Parts: sequence; C-alpha cells; structure tokens
Amino acid sequence: MLNLKDVHVHIGKLHILQGVNLQVKPGECAALLGRNGVGKTTTLRAIMGLARRSGGTVEFEGFDLASCEPHEIPRRGVGYVPQGRGIFPNLTVLENLCIGLPGRRDLEREEYVFGCFPRLEERLKQSGGTLSGGEQQMLALARCLMMRPKLIILDEPTEGIMPRLVSQIRREIHRINQAGVSILLVEQNVETALKLCPRVFLMEKGAIVYNGTAHELKSKPEIVRRYLGLSKQ
Amino acid sequence: MSAKAIERSLWALFAAFMIAVPWIIPALISSFWVSVIAEILIWSLLAASVNLLFGYVGLLSFGQALYFGFGMYGVAIGIQDLGLSFWPAFALGIVASMTMALVTGIFAVRLTWHYFAIITVVFSLIFYFLALTNKWLTGGDDGINFALPPTINIGGFNKSLTDPIFQYFFVLCTAALCFLLMHRLVGSPLGKAFLAIRDNDMRARLIGLNVYLLRLIAFVLSGFLAGVAGGLFAFFGRYASATYMFYHVSGEAVVWAIVGGAGTLLGPLIGTTLFIIVREIVSTHWEHHSLIVGTVAILAVMFAPKGMVGLWNDFISRIAERSGAPVGAVELRTEP
Repeated sequence: MLNLKDVHVHIGKLHILQGVNLQVKPGECAALLGRNGVGKTTTLRAIMGLARRSGGTVEFEGFDLASCEPHEIPRRGVGYVPQGRGIFPNLTVLENLCIGLPGRRDLEREEYVFGCFPRLEERLKQSGGTLSGGEQQMLALARCLMMRPKLIILDEPTEGIMPRLVSQIRREIHRINQAGVSILLVEQNVETALKLCPRVFLMEKGAIVYNGTAHELKSKPEIVRRYLGLSKQ
Repeated sequence: MSAKAIERSLWALFAAFMIAVPWIIPALISSFWVSVIAEILIWSLLAASVNLLFGYVGLLSFGQALYFGFGMYGVAIGIQDLGLSFWPAFALGIVASMTMALVTGIFAVRLTWHYFAIITVVFSLIFYFLALTNKWLTGGDDGINFALPPTINIGGFNKSLTDPIFQYFFVLCTAALCFLLMHRLVGSPLGKAFLAIRDNDMRARLIGLNVYLLRLIAFVLSGFLAGVAGGLFAFFGRYASATYMFYHVSGEAVVWAIVGGAGTLLGPLIGTTLFIIVREIVSTHWEHHSLIVGTVAILAVMFAPKGMVGLWNDFISRIAERSGAPVGAVELRTEP
C-alpha cells in the first residue's frame, strides 16, 4: 500500500533522511519508533509532500506521490494527523469536521465518526480552540476519518493527553484499523505503540535500522535499549 | 428581551437611521454630511476588500488601490471613450478590476506575509506610474471627467445620480448588497476554508484544501469589492484619476480595516466612518490631520488589537458578566 524506497531528504546542508525504506501493507498497523531527532516526523512530512525529497520514491497504491501537490495526497486516501493536533481553533467542531469535504454534508460518515467519538457530538457548536487537549486530538482524528482514508498517518497522537483519554484514543485507533484502515503511527510512548502495532520500524540517524514484529522486538531488549534508550518497556 | 431580539432591534435601528439619513442629517447638521456618509460607504467597500484578504485569509495587501483605480477607469473610459451607458460602464469597471486581480493574484498569492505585502505594493506602483504616464488613455494626474448617463431610463422614467437623494440610496443599496454578499461568503464552506487557511495554511493543505487556488479566489473577490468601490467613486465624483491608484490610498484602507476590526464584517465600515469623520472635522481647521490618523492607528494597534469591534465586544462581555446576562448578547460577531 505505502512503499518508501531509499528516501533521502536534505534540509540545507543537513542530510536528514539517509535512505529510508518502509512499507505498510493494506490493513496493517505499523509503528515508526526512534529517539527524538532521528527523522520520524521528517519521514511523515516526506510522505505528505511537505518535505522536498532529494532522492528515492514514495508510492501509495503503486502511484508515485512525487507528482502530487500536498493537498492532493489526502484526496488519494492518505490521512495525516500532525503532531500538536492540527485542528482549526476558530472553527466549530462541526466546521472542523466538514471543512475541505466536497459537496454536501456526509451525514452517514458523520454518524460513523460520532459513533467513534460521542464526546464530539455533544460539542458540535463549540469552537475547536476551547476543547481539551484530548478532545482536540479526537477531533483531529475524526476530521481525518471524514475523508474516508485508506491509510492514516498519526504523529504522536497521545502526546500531552490525560491517561483516561489516551486509552480511549488508543482503543479508537485499534477499532479504525480493525475496520480495514491501515495505520502508520509515530509514537514516543513505546508501550502504546507496541500494544497497537504488530509491525514496528525503528529509526536511527535518518534510516530504518529495524523492521520486524512487535513480538520479536519485545524479546530483544538490547535493540530496544540501543535504539530507544529504554531498559524495558 | 432575548439576545437575538436585542441584536435584531439594533440592526433595525441602524437600518432605519441609514434610510432616514437624507432627511435627518440636513435637518440636524447640513446636507454636506449626506454626501460624506455616501463617501464613507464607498470607502468602506475598499476597506472590506482589505479585510477579506487580511481578516479572513491572512494576506495583508497594500495594493488594493490598484483594483479601486481599475474600477474607476473602467467606468470613466467606458462612458467617456466607449460611449457606454451606466450599467455596462459599471460592469466594465468591476470586470476590469477582477481581471487585474486575477492577473496579479496569479503571482502574488504564491507568496505570504511581508513578501506578499511587498509584491502587492510593487504591482500597485507599476500600474500607478503606467496610468500616470499614459495620459492619452488615463488623463494622468488630471484624470478623466465625464458626464453621468442616466442610471434608470425606462420609457419616460429617468433617474440619474445627479439627484443627491437617489445617489445616496444607490450607494447605500450597493454597499449593503456587497456587505450582505460578504456575510454570506464568510458563513459559507468557502469562507470557512478561508478561515482555515488564515489559521494554518499547512494544516489546510493536509486536509486537502488547495491553498493556492483558494487564496487566488479570495484575491479576485477582494478585487471585485475594490472594483465596486472604485466604480461607485467614479460615479460619485464624475471623475477618475491615477492619484487614487497610489499605494497611499491602499495604506489608508489597511488602517481603516485594522482599526475597525479585521476579521469582522462591520469592522471596515466602523474604521472608515471614524477616520473620514475625523478627517472632515479636523481638515477644515488643520492641514496635518493625517497625524491624528497615524496616532489613532498606533493606539489602536497597541491597545485594541481586535479593533473597535473587539473593544465593543469586550465592553459588552464585561457588562454581561456584571449583570449575569449571557455573554454574546449583542456582540458584533467576528464570524457568522
């Protein structure tokens, strides 16, 4: 489904991504892990066309995304929930959900989204900026779902959110994946990532250094220690 | 009385005052002020064009006078050189402005922030000097004077803007229509997309909004508003001149929009009203009235960053808090 081959990104003289190879299969839930500054977010930005690639290809369903403008990529079925929510604080919850969608309101989809996040239905006319951090994250995810994506890319969805809401968001990500939507998750919280994602990519110095299952990774504490700086997870 | 009812009453009062202006103002002050109010309505459309770009899309244009000038010249050249009647000349002015906005917008909206502001000034200056030097077409500094054709000419019924009361109502209706269109636009999905781009253009791209195209649409629509203002001003003065294309005129419109309240529907009207009334009162006694404009602008930016409308809304919120009434009862909403 999503296939990154030897992706390089330079920012100024810095060589940020140094040949990233990564694949997400249809219906798969994969985690991209690594310490701060190893290039995780840049990888996501390269997929979404926000970081200019200096080499390599990014294909989605066999189509090279290099020929797409950034705004065309979501329309091809790639949803992106950036770090720090990515909602529009001056628009209401409903406006946040409907913005960018072509034609009339998609009531069927709204029903599905409110089924996932009932809290949002209670706050339809509230402006996005007045929601709590967890609710904003739900809104960002719900907004992404409104576009009926085939793949959702999530950049640290549980960062800075109260534990009670973290488990709800985690549950909904799992449910979305169970419904057939592929997930690529970047997460600092290794425990969350390994619980949710059967496949794990570890990143170090702008390249993928480990590609395997979460189960295998759990049995290799030395890899976790070396690349994530954790003694246990 | 409910909040909606208070709001409706205020609107009704305002509408009644605007309709009664040609009779009330001459009785209370002098008929001169009726034409000042008409002028305020015209200039408020230019400020609204700045507001559409800056307040709703986040693009600060210092070149709106260019489209205002094209609106003026479209009308003047249409009547004087092409022999057009009233409505085709007005349409020519508006179409000329929108076309110019489209052509310059194709280049300008690729940029943002100060780069965008600079390119709009540059375009404005280029066409100002072209208008100034091509006297055979524009009349340069002297401009083009023309005789007003009738606005309505059906059978024996003839009405022209030479009638001051008809002229006032024509300006009032046109301005009201433009503000109504703005209101509908800002509340529409297109308007919400504009707000999304203003808040964060990268996020807007990530949800599939074509930011470049939407900015271009906003730019052309702002050209429409400036063109209507320019056309009206040409009819109002029976005159078009290159001096109105100078960036100084754009700068004034920016000040009116910001002091009134950028990102609010009525902000440009309130800002324009304040400054034109100050100008009219002070300029008869003191030629450096621009100093007052500058001082008020600096004070507004420092102490009322949301403009006069923001001040009003804060005032209402404080009163509502004290009396325990629901906040937002008679607020001038920033967005519908």
